[in-house]
Amino acid sequence: MFPYSTLPENLAAFCDRLRREHGFRVGPRELADAARALTIVPLADERVVRDALRPILSHTQADVLAFDAAFDRFFHARPFNDHADPLQQDPELLSVPARSALHDAELDARSRFGPTQHVADAHVYATDAGTADDLEPGAVRLRYSPLEGEAPTPVLDPPDEEWRTAARALVNRFEAGLSRRWRPSPRGQRFDLRRTLRGSLHTSGEPVLPRWRARRRRRARFVIVVDGSRSMGESSIAALQIASAIASATGNVEVFTFSTAIRRVTPEVLRAAAGARVRLPALQHAWGGGTSIGASLKNLLQRSADRLLGRDSVVILASDGLEAGDSAVLRDAMSRLHRRSASIIWLNPLLGSSGYEPVAQGMRVARPFVTTFAWVGDVASLLQLARTAGVRA
Amino acid sequence: MIDASAIRSRFAERGFIANEAFATALQLVLALDKPLLVEGPAGVGKTESAKVLADVLGTRLIRLQCYEGLDSLTALYEWNYPRQMLHIRLTEASGADLPSREAEIFGEAFLLKRPLLEAITQDRPPVLLIDEVDRADEPFEAFLLEVLAEWQVTIPELGTIRARHAPHVVLTSNRTRELSDALRRRCLFFWLPYPSLSEEIAILHARIPGLADRLAAEIARAMKIFRTLPLQKAPGVAESLDWARALMTLHRDHLDAAAVAQTLGCVLKVHEDQRTLDSHPEALGPLLDTAPETLAPGGHSLETDFGLGTVDRR
Repeated sequence: MFPYSTLPENLAAFCDRLRREHGFRVGPRELADAARALTIVPLADERVVRDALRPILSHTQADVLAFDAAFDRFFHARPFNDHADPLQQDPELLSVPARSALHDAELDARSRFGPTQHVADAHVYATDAGTADDLEPGAVRLRYSPLEGEAPTPVLDPPDEEWRTAARALVNRFEAGLSRRWRPSPRGQRFDLRRTLRGSLHTSGEPVLPRWRARRRRRARFVIVVDGSRSMGESSIAALQIASAIASATGNVEVFTFSTAIRRVTPEVLRAAAGARVRLPALQHAWGGGTSIGASLKNLLQRSADRLLGRDSVVILASDGLEAGDSAVLRDAMSRLHRRSASIIWLNPLLGSSGYEPVAQGMRVARPFVTTFAWVGDVASLLQLARTAGVRA
Repeated sequence: MIDASAIRSRFAERGFIANEAFATALQLVLALDKPLLVEGPAGVGKTESAKVLADVLGTRLIRLQCYEGLDSLTALYEWNYPRQMLHIRLTEASGADLPSREAEIFGEAFLLKRPLLEAITQDRPPVLLIDEVDRADEPFEAFLLEVLAEWQVTIPELGTIRARHAPHVVLTSNRTRELSDALRRRCLFFWLPYPSLSEEIAILHARIPGLADRLAAEIARAMKIFRTLPLQKAPGVAESLDWARALMTLHRDHLDAAAVAQTLGCVLKVHEDQRTLDSHPEALGPLLDTAPETLAPGGHSLETDFGLGTVDRR
C-alpha cells in the first residue's frame, strides 16, 4: 500500500510530492518535525497520523485544503476529490432525528446555496495551478464556456526610470492622513521627554537639545485589478506594466488579473518592479478569456475585502468595461468597492480611441462609482493622471 | 506526556469542544515545543483555545495583544524612567559612588516587564498568547521571529536573559494581512473552521447549562444555514452562544419567526446581512414553526406569550 518500504522514506517522498506538485513550503525542518511527531502519536490510527502531519506540513489555509487529497493520493492512490461538498460529508445532518419538513428545508437550502456557491467559487477564483483538474465531475460542465480560453502567459519587463518617476508622482498624490503612531522626528509637535533626557547624557544632564515626536503620514494602499480578457488585447500587458511601475514606487500594492476568474499576481509584479524580467505563471481562467468583471470583483470582495480595502485604499481598475455577465452583480460589487475605498480609478483603453463614449452596459453601471476615469498609454498620461486623480469628497 | 484524547476531555470539562485534529495539534505543540498559529473565521474560539490550554496545564496565560504600531519595547521591556529619575533625585545626597548608583537604577526593580519578557522569566512554562498577530506591522513580525527562535532577550544594562522554560506559544490571526512565510514556517499551522452541526450543539450545551435540546439543535441548524448565505459577516460561535442566551432570557424553548425577528441582532450584525436574509425568506422558513399568516404587521406574532409560556385561547 505504501510506495516505499520504510517510514522515513515514505515521509520524505510524501514531503517531496507536496513540495513539487502542490507548492507546499516544506523543507528539512518540517521533515524533521514530522518525523518527531510520528514518534509521539500512535501510528496505528491513520486519522491521527493525518491530524499530526497536517499542522506541521501545511502553512496556509490553501495548504490545509490540499493536504487531505494529497495524503490520500500518496498513501492510498485514491483519486482527488477535494472539492466535494462538505455538507454531504457530514453524516450528522442526515442522522439527527427531526421532522421531515425541517430536514427537507435543509437539503433545499443546501442545494440552493451550498454546492452551487461552491462550484461558482471554483469557477471564478482559480486559486492554484491544478485546480482545473481537481473539481468534481459535475463542475466541468459549468466551467466550460465558449468564451473561455487560455492565452500564452505574458512577460513583464521592469519599468524604466521615467515610468518609476511618474508612478511616484501618482503615489505621492495619495498621501493619506496621519497615523496614530508617534515617531521621533526633528520637526514634531510633541515634546519627547525620554529622548531629551537620553540626549542630555552628553551635556551632563542639561537638556540642551529638545527632541520631538510627530505622527507619520499613512501610506495609501493600491489595489490594482487588471482585466486580462481577450478583448483588452495588448492593453492588459500595458496595465500590468503600470502596476509594476506603481509597485516600484510603493510596496503597499496588491495586483490581480481576471478574465472569467480572478487571480493574485502581486508577487510577480513586485519582482518585475524590483528589476527582473518576469514571465507570469499559468493564469488559466484569469487571462485571455471572456470578461466577467462583476463576478470577479464580487469574488475578490468576498475573499479579501477585509484585507485589502479600507479608508486608505485606492482601487485601480483597468478594463474596457465590456461586461459579459450580469450587470446587477457588477453594480453591487462596484458599490461595495466604492464604500470601502478612498478612490476608484478606472483605466479604460477605449478612452484612447477617438469618439468613444462609455455607454456599454458595464461602463454605464460602473460609472457612478468611479472617481477618476482615464487611460494611461504613456508616461505623459500617467503624469497627467497623477495631477488630476483625487480622493473622492 | 498528555495525549490527544486527554486534551479533548480536559478541554471539554472547561466547555471547549475540540475536535481530534485540534487536540492532536495541541499535543504536538506541547511535545515539539513549537508555536501554534491558529487561523480561522472570526468568532470560532481561537483566543479562547489558548486560555483553556493555560487552564488545562495549570499555568499562567500571558497575552500579547497585537495592534498597528506595536513596537518591540512595548512587547519586551521598558525602563521605568520616572521612577529612575525620582530615585536619582532622592539618593543624590547618599554619597554612594557612581558605579553602585548606576547599578542600582538599572536593576530589576526599575524594569517594567512586558509580555514577552514576562513569558520567559516564569518558573513554570506559561502559555503565551500572541493575539491577532496580523494586526502588528511587518517589522514587529521579524522581531517576533527572533524571539521565538532564541527565547532570549538582551538588555544592554542587565545582560542577556535566557528563558528557563520556553513558553507554549499560541498565535492567532484573522488574516487582515498575509503573514510572512518565515513566521508560518516556524509554527505549526491549524485552520480552525466553523464547528460541525454536532460540535456546535455540544458547544451550546457545554457553555449554556440548561439549554433545551430542541433549541440547541435548531440554533445550530439555523447557524449552519446562515453560514451558507452570502453574508458579509458570517456569524461565529460567539454569536450562537449570544443568540442562545438571548432566546433563553426571552423564555423561548424553540425558534419561530417572532423569536428570530426579535433576536436577529444577536446573529447578523450588519444591516446589509439582515436585508440579505430578508431576500432569502425560504432559507430559514421551514425551520420556523409559526406560519406567516399569524404574523402581525411588523413581524410580531399575534399569539405571542410575552415570555409567560403558552397562551391558552379559549
